[in-house]
Amino acid sequence: MYLIGNIALILGIAISLYSLAANIIGIKRNDRKWLESARGGILSLAFVTSISAFLLFYILGTSQFQFKYVAAYTNNQLPLVYKLAAFWAGNAGSLLLWVFLLSIYAAVIVLNKKKQNNMIPYVSNILLLNMLFFYIVMIFNANPFEMTEMIPADGKGLNPMLQNPGMVIHPVTLYMGYVGLAVPFAYAIAALLMKKMDAGWIKLTRRWTLTAWLFLTIGNIVGGWWAYLELGWGGYWAWDPVENASFLPWLTVSAFLHSVMIQERKNMLRTWNISLIILSYILSLFGTFLVRSGILTSVHAFGDSNLGTYFLIFMGFMMIFAIYVVITRYQLIKKESRPIEAYFSKESSFLLNNFILVAAAFAVFFGTMYPLISETLTGTKVNVGAPYFNKVMAPIMLALLFLMAICPLISWQKAVFDRFIKSTLVPIIVALLFAGFLVAMGVKGIYAIIGLTVTVFMFNVHLAEFWRGIKARRKATKEGFIKAAFQLTRKNQRRYGGYIVHIGIAVIAVGVISSNAYSEEMMKTVNQGESFTFGNYELTFNELTETQEKGNGIVAAEIDVKYKGKSNGTIHPEKIFYGTWPEPSSEVAIKTNWKEDLYVVLSSWESKEKVTFVVKVNPFVSWIWAGGILMMIGTAIALIGGKTSAFFKMNNRQAGVHA
Amino acid sequence: MSKNKKIIFGLSLFAVAIMIMFFSTMPSAGSKEISIEELLTKNYKDEYVLTQGLLKEDSVKWDADKIELTFEIVDEESSSPLPIIYKGVKPDNFSEDVIVIVEGFIKDNGVFEAEKVQTKCPSKYEGEDPENYDAEMHKNMNEKKQNE
Repeated sequence: MYLIGNIALILGIAISLYSLAANIIGIKRNDRKWLESARGGILSLAFVTSISAFLLFYILGTSQFQFKYVAAYTNNQLPLVYKLAAFWAGNAGSLLLWVFLLSIYAAVIVLNKKKQNNMIPYVSNILLLNMLFFYIVMIFNANPFEMTEMIPADGKGLNPMLQNPGMVIHPVTLYMGYVGLAVPFAYAIAALLMKKMDAGWIKLTRRWTLTAWLFLTIGNIVGGWWAYLELGWGGYWAWDPVENASFLPWLTVSAFLHSVMIQERKNMLRTWNISLIILSYILSLFGTFLVRSGILTSVHAFGDSNLGTYFLIFMGFMMIFAIYVVITRYQLIKKESRPIEAYFSKESSFLLNNFILVAAAFAVFFGTMYPLISETLTGTKVNVGAPYFNKVMAPIMLALLFLMAICPLISWQKAVFDRFIKSTLVPIIVALLFAGFLVAMGVKGIYAIIGLTVTVFMFNVHLAEFWRGIKARRKATKEGFIKAAFQLTRKNQRRYGGYIVHIGIAVIAVGVISSNAYSEEMMKTVNQGESFTFGNYELTFNELTETQEKGNGIVAAEIDVKYKGKSNGTIHPEKIFYGTWPEPSSEVAIKTNWKEDLYVVLSSWESKEKVTFVVKVNPFVSWIWAGGILMMIGTAIALIGGKTSAFFKMNNRQAGVHA
Repeated sequence: MSKNKKIIFGLSLFAVAIMIMFFSTMPSAGSKEISIEELLTKNYKDEYVLTQGLLKEDSVKWDADKIELTFEIVDEESSSPLPIIYKGVKPDNFSEDVIVIVEGFIKDNGVFEAEKVQTKCPSKYEGEDPENYDAEMHKNMNEKKQNE
């Protein structure tokens, strides 16, 4: 087993080196044979990485503790799903996962005959370079198939905090997003290397980029969900350096998704698009660097400083390479780029949106790196926490929401102001009525009210867009309402999928704004049988029990909950003491209704009769998860449909051949 | 001036505005990282600071009724421990060998009033001890404690 694992890794290096060389020779000599051989190399590379990946899954699943990795992250008692999920619990496995995903992606690219074109050798070489790097790091620094000197009877076990469904999904989806960014990056660089200045690379990679973005979105939201359930501080986003690292590429890719539309239609903003995708790719490496290097204190601390250096070097190399390619081709890019025609047009509004997203990314980056910057400049480390980010990001996000509200209404090229006013009128009036309603209800907090009003405005605009489309369609086709809505979306999946994503963001914004502004917290020590009220809730502490389960000690409190005087069931916040782990973990008890979560943490106890609780009421947090699901659905709709024009043509040609 | 240039000009003005916002928010929203020794000897009154040290377990007093936690932290360089008061709940694993990170203000009486207390265990997410954790120092600390 040890042999197979290591041979597979070394084969990986050999094959990627060979394919790299074969591609270069093939390109230089313009020789199909060499290129075909490189293609074969990439396919076999995918095969080899699959063997490694399945092997790691196998030894994890069967608890073969003679392997260091297995012994370090699993133990016998662990449920199978978490044994397997330990694949990405540590450095070595994460690297293997990365290389595995990348090799599969590369194989898909070279296999897809439809998109077979002369860019592939360049593209695959850039991907190969990435894989080679990961292989080298694995072999020299973090080999997942390393053996222990003495076979331990049992492993150390997986950190209990990671034993949560969220942790099964969160890392993988983030990796899939990170890895996916390498593809559009490779295409962009390939296009530059070949001096192909059209928007071809964008059309070819639209789906890749969108998929990567989808996974980044899922990864981030599931990460927040996990933190909310598992960490017990009542929040979902702490602006931790590592969270920021995954948020950064999300922001730049969001910008990219919008600005490529302009290049696709108008052939504008080419330098910008190329820079954005390079930036996103570099940020994805930067994220990994942050996680692995431990240069910033973070809850995600993986403390292997060696790995960080590897990543820094590779990141620097790729950055210099990309910048060199862009600079040497700059005149060419410039030559055919077209200027913007009118200030008041979709183009310039998209530009503004891009600008805000990039500014947001910069703000997050700056805040994340500030401890290091201040230490170098002044000698004292100044940590910036949530207050900085909230303060800076709130106006940026507000501007973004506002722009999302007016953007769909501004037409391409040159918008007509009168028509714009007419279509914003109803949404804005409804939003203002909503604001008035909030004030009348006695809701305090001017910033939150402004934020919610803009969110409602944005939501209304998108709803109105759907409404208008459906109405027009029904007039033309006499379809029923549902059918018309369905057909409308189906006929223009990119547009309406995008709108659904925006609506999802509006739903998330409601959750984020209200949970930030109106969340309430209370700490209370109570005796057995004692009740206390908190907002609309009345909680009665019944008893504290202690049980043993699978070697873990569980201390649970039983609390009766009354909501507005009516009984609302019983909850059991717990604290679990693990046999294999030094720290206990809190299992939060949450009661959700449509507008708020009751969030109870069992904090500590003096005796069985006297217990301290932390109780929170978090308004609209469940909306964040719902909005996340909407975003996924919207992205999926945009992804499945929405054939790009180039793809369309090729498809037709193919259809012709087959017929 | 072409429209492109005008737009770029407008955007850069906007960028400058945002920059100013960043820098003006920074000092008020950040916390300076100061060592215990510096905090004990120099004047950091009215400044929001962050410091960290090892928990002295015998100093922990937890008043459940008032929800008030008092404890002391030390590190290798500090001549005497730093007393801390925190109006909040006791973190999990608030026991020996844990690194405590506190944020807050130092008061006139030399007591640090913490607004945030976090514990850092060397093995937070990893199965193994990370390399940057100084196990040696921790051991020395414990030995010193026993000698006293």
